[in-house]
Amino acid sequence: MSSAHEARFRIDAPNSRPRQIAVIAIDAASEPWLRELQGVGLTHAHFFDGAELAADRLRLVDAIGGCDVVVMLATAGSDQGAVGVIGEECSRRRVSTTGLLYCPRGLTDDAVAASLRRMRPWMLMLVLASATGYAEDVLRSLRG
Amino acid sequence: MGKFFRRYWIPALLASELPGPECPPVRVKLLSERLLAWRDTQGRLALTDEFCAHRGVSLWFGRNEENGLRCPYHGWKYDHTGQCIEVPSEPTESGFCQKIKLASYPLVERGGVLWTYMGPAGEEPALPEWEFAMVPADRRFVTKRTQECNWLQALEGGIDSSHVSWLHRGDLTRDPLFKGARGNQYNLGDARPVFEVVESPGGLYIGARRNAEEGKYYWRITQWVMPSFTMIPPRGDHPVHGHFWIPIDDENCWAWSYDYKVTRSFTPEELSSMQAGKGIHVQYAPGTFRPNANKNNDYLMDREAQKRGETFSGISGIAMQDASLQESMGPVVDRTKENLVSTDNGIIMARHRLLRSVKAMIDKGVTPPGLAADHMRCRSAAVVLDHDQLFVEAARDALAIQPGLEHTTV
Repeated sequence: MSSAHEARFRIDAPNSRPRQIAVIAIDAASEPWLRELQGVGLTHAHFFDGAELAADRLRLVDAIGGCDVVVMLATAGSDQGAVGVIGEECSRRRVSTTGLLYCPRGLTDDAVAASLRRMRPWMLMLVLASATGYAEDVLRSLRG
Repeated sequence: MGKFFRRYWIPALLASELPGPECPPVRVKLLSERLLAWRDTQGRLALTDEFCAHRGVSLWFGRNEENGLRCPYHGWKYDHTGQCIEVPSEPTESGFCQKIKLASYPLVERGGVLWTYMGPAGEEPALPEWEFAMVPADRRFVTKRTQECNWLQALEGGIDSSHVSWLHRGDLTRDPLFKGARGNQYNLGDARPVFEVVESPGGLYIGARRNAEEGKYYWRITQWVMPSFTMIPPRGDHPVHGHFWIPIDDENCWAWSYDYKVTRSFTPEELSSMQAGKGIHVQYAPGTFRPNANKNNDYLMDREAQKRGETFSGISGIAMQDASLQESMGPVVDRTKENLVSTDNGIIMARHRLLRSVKAMIDKGVTPPGLAADHMRCRSAAVVLDHDQLFVEAARDALAIQPGLEHTTV
């Protein structure tokens, strides 16, 4: 039943509705990364500045309320002060969160650990990457 | 991906399949090539094209004698490098046989496994230095089985920790090679692990984090080294295990499984369990490396055991619980129909790393990760750490071989 021949008879119809993904840069250093992702043509991804969301509750509720998944971009060693406010709202609404932490070369372990300390309480999944190119793959894999 | 796999030493056969000089040759298909493995009169290992250059007869029928393999059809003879050394119908003086050479690949023995390198000549990397292959023979147990699907969807199952709490939940308390470890209490007490995926020199560290005592996390850290090596974190004093998945062709792979200890031999109970197909090993259809439970018998599905909660899927044994589902995806799963979620980021990152490494190799000649000896000298680990610790930093020593010491475990 799992042969190549049988694979031809799998139903060829959409099996899901598109997911809306909120992509949030939670520190200033990640804003260029966010802008880069905005330019790659992801149909169901919506891009936000984390500091602005954290400062405007109505806007935050609006951003999180309309999405299925939240992906937060962070750069290790930067100030992720916005993550608590955003993470709490995601938690309240039971929205799945993924953190992509870019760890530039040469950064100390203490700097990375400090960013992880802020992010860990709010992320269901954390990826530590040495380059930012991974984020596009994440968003496309999540059908953004 | 074929060119990528060819850059690595890959497991080809168990050493026991070629037990001695002039033993019967063995047919083996790797990376979509039909090959023949044999050991000549002087014990030299050979891995050559399966087919005689004369008229395409399989040399599996060949006579392994007098420092060569002789085709029984017309007597053409080859040495262990695939060089034709005799064409009886042609005068020796003609030198005809010197113009005939079968493709052949180096075959070396290490750790009870015969490894081959199928890449460009002269670019062989360091010989395998996986720890399981370097310990004494009575401290390791290695098996292989066929899996009837593409290698990548099997590997993805191996690095996806999130399925363990579901698919294998019955075995954590039953399987003799898993049960009883102190760390299991954390698995059972926290069914929603959080994952952290971190790049490693050879591939990825996949950390699964669960709540432990106040202010602490229990981490289980899996190693993935390119292209297809994994090591599962230890449980208590049980042997440590992991896998390789090696393409046979696009729709089939070899699932290699190893267990090992560093400082002691296996107990009789551990050894008999592995031999009986417990843990990550299987029972075979007689005379084959095909699992006894396979797609032709619906993997010996037991719905009553499923209802009783002994198994979550109704399939017995950790290996076949994985293989049955991975094979059911189809020979090459259609990833355009996936709906991945956050906990699939280990898989997403692995695909990203693989694709990037393949492109860098092909476009710029960059050496892929996983080739260097120190990439292979790695370990998995299970540790309890403070909340704010980076697991890669805090467990740095534990994630590499520590001579004379067992794995770091809970």
